[in-house]
Amino acid sequence: MKKIKESLAGDLHQIAMVLAVAAALIVFQVINDGRMITSSNLQNIISGNAYVFTISIGMVMVIILGQIDLSVGSVAGFVGMVTAITATDWGWPWWVAVLAGLACGALIGAWQGFWLAKMGIPGFISTLAGMMIFRGLVIWISHSISKPAPRELEWFGAGSLPDWGREATGLNLPTVALGLLGAAAVVVSQVRASARRREENSRHVPVWPTVVRTAFVIAAIGYFTYLFASGNPGTSFPVPGLIVVVLVIFYHVLTQHSRLGRHIYAVGGNKAAAALTGVNVDRTYFFAMLNVALLAAVAGVMFIGRSTAAGPSDGTGWELDVIAAVFIGGAAVSGGVGTVLATIVGGLFMAILNNGLQLAGISADRTQVIKGLVLLAAVAIDVMSKRQGRPSIIGRFMRGSRAAGTPEGPAVTLPVAGPEVFAEANKAAVQPARGGETA
Amino acid sequence: MTIGRRAIAVLSATLVAGLALAGCSSSTSGTGTPSESTTPGSSESSESSATQTAGGFPADSVIGVSLPWLGTQNWAEGLDEFTAQIKAAGMTPLVQQADNKVPQQQSQIEAMIERGAKVIVVAPIDGSQLGTVLEKAKAAGIVVIGYDRLIQNTEAIDAVVQYGSVEIGRVQGQALLDGLKARKGDGPYNIELFGGGPADPNAPNFFQGAMEILQPKIDDGTLKVVSGQTTFEQAATLDWDNAKAQARMDTLLSGFYADKEIDGVLSPNDGIARAILTAAAQAGKDEPVVDGLDAENESIVSIWEGHQYETTDKPTKALVSATMELVIASQKGEPWAEPTGKADNGKIEVPLYELTPVAVTKENAKEVYANDPARLALLK
Repeated sequence: MKKIKESLAGDLHQIAMVLAVAAALIVFQVINDGRMITSSNLQNIISGNAYVFTISIGMVMVIILGQIDLSVGSVAGFVGMVTAITATDWGWPWWVAVLAGLACGALIGAWQGFWLAKMGIPGFISTLAGMMIFRGLVIWISHSISKPAPRELEWFGAGSLPDWGREATGLNLPTVALGLLGAAAVVVSQVRASARRREENSRHVPVWPTVVRTAFVIAAIGYFTYLFASGNPGTSFPVPGLIVVVLVIFYHVLTQHSRLGRHIYAVGGNKAAAALTGVNVDRTYFFAMLNVALLAAVAGVMFIGRSTAAGPSDGTGWELDVIAAVFIGGAAVSGGVGTVLATIVGGLFMAILNNGLQLAGISADRTQVIKGLVLLAAVAIDVMSKRQGRPSIIGRFMRGSRAAGTPEGPAVTLPVAGPEVFAEANKAAVQPARGGETA
Repeated sequence: MTIGRRAIAVLSATLVAGLALAGCSSSTSGTGTPSESTTPGSSESSESSATQTAGGFPADSVIGVSLPWLGTQNWAEGLDEFTAQIKAAGMTPLVQQADNKVPQQQSQIEAMIERGAKVIVVAPIDGSQLGTVLEKAKAAGIVVIGYDRLIQNTEAIDAVVQYGSVEIGRVQGQALLDGLKARKGDGPYNIELFGGGPADPNAPNFFQGAMEILQPKIDDGTLKVVSGQTTFEQAATLDWDNAKAQARMDTLLSGFYADKEIDGVLSPNDGIARAILTAAAQAGKDEPVVDGLDAENESIVSIWEGHQYETTDKPTKALVSATMELVIASQKGEPWAEPTGKADNGKIEVPLYELTPVAVTKENAKEVYANDPARLALLK
């Protein structure tokens, strides 16, 4: 029994966070007479929140650094407006307009990064300024009037994959192909992880938890693939969702498996120590600010695609939704903690909550109250769990995925814990009195 | 090779998140499916009935109403009035507001489609930003009616019910002129101009209608816009925000009226009218003549006490009733009445059902509200 518990230890942490999402889905599925987990509703949840997911990927990296970016909403609105104006008023081809918009996003990011990294203005202030500057510019360049967006952009903001194979099979085959790809990736990674675990751990590790887990994940993928593929004709897994998945994979690898990623955690954990060990702190700050603005630009373009127009108040308050997702995902205000995957789960939880309450006919004012309480509760649980000496439930969620069953194997925990250990070790070197926090 | 392995591991971790989602959905969809097939208002049946809409729909169907927010009284009244009238017609009301956030309104309308609404009435926050969701509603065979504001930039709109917005502007402009004559003696008069929220497609129309009346008087020197700010862009009030209007009024008064009196101000609605009066009072100026819109309680009291000169009333009840006539006709499968006009929304000519607004001043208030006990109670 003890052995079983041990071999599942890592998974239990994951399951804690996923259970919250699952519980929300179950509750709303019951409240809404089965209208929650339907193909079209899941498509709505994904298309309607893709902009939040996209920006939150960049925001979590900024927050890991101990900074914050308040300007993302204004930047997204500005980029959307630039894209709409260059395409509609100036007659640029839609893809040139999109590239111009993204280039604006990168330039803005460089601007924000310059003030933070080179001039040492705290991110809170420099991006508060950016929030005003770019909101003002949106209104200025648009004369406060909404501009129609090129119709081609609808595909990025609300589109579906080509509906191949619908007549023959009743399913959207591109979605099926994505599902098979995902399932194959899971099998390969589980087999490899299992082999590695055996290699690194002399103790006997049972194989069945891996098999059961893999079977569950495959079943889940299969079910969701079927759900998305069998929706109304012409629909599939939404294109904005696919964009988010690609971004999540890219940025997860970047943060967990690259030197830049380790630098981000190191600077966020202890800036001075990181600088002493040769990390270029300024460059790390610069990159994170540039990156989040670029992702805000992507979100802005996706949003005007879905809205079919860019409006003068686009992006108002988005920064707050994004920051909420990041903190529900277990990031710490003091920096050094947080992951891209947990952030997306946090964002997904808020999205499901919002959608479920809307389906139930609860109006936006009450939804706001409930979302506020949930944010507070999620972070409070996280903080209390840390205070009791246990690792944060939410923060631990994704982290355990590869350390499952072998908590003592340092090589296995390296992907996420590595940078923290690194940072903490440096902290210990600089401030010996504060050492030993590594757990 | 290592990248490939990492990517795979990452993907797997992403998909682990899906584990519990599926775990619960597969267990609950069993209970969900039967209710979907038996509930007439489910999304499945709404799609299959796309062609039946012309022939009516069940009398207890869900009617969705998406309002922009509850920040002004007319929307709160609209929420109550829609709920009451939809219930009275035997249908199921699903009346929501979106906190003045476009993404919120988009997902709200999608949720109404999921709930199997047969008609969706939309008062847009930004009339041009609902294209894809309304097209989704159309594809599901839902009747889409715009309420109070024009819906632009999409074909997926069946009709718009509103008070003629240019006409409202004309009434406001005329009220300002009448008020100046009544309260400020002979001209010339110093005035300033305020417009509504630029994202609201009606706001430029209000301004245009008012200027049809005021421009000739500006040209002949009867009216003088001291600040020189006479275009809609200069006069507009972002998001219809009273605080922004008050700040602009403060600025105008300190910048241009240090040694002059201000006689009148064109205001696009009641909230902004009161903000203008507050700014004038705080600057120690005589009360200017100010018009308004929406007949909010506070403004009716203000008019009755002799401060605000006029409010242009577009009674919410009448507008909701006119909308419900279309909804009820659709339910019975009857053809709609002839529209009063058409408007180009950038994609199609939208049928318009326009009502005429009423100018309310202290002189005629008792008459106008003879049948409205709530407002009549304010007049004492």
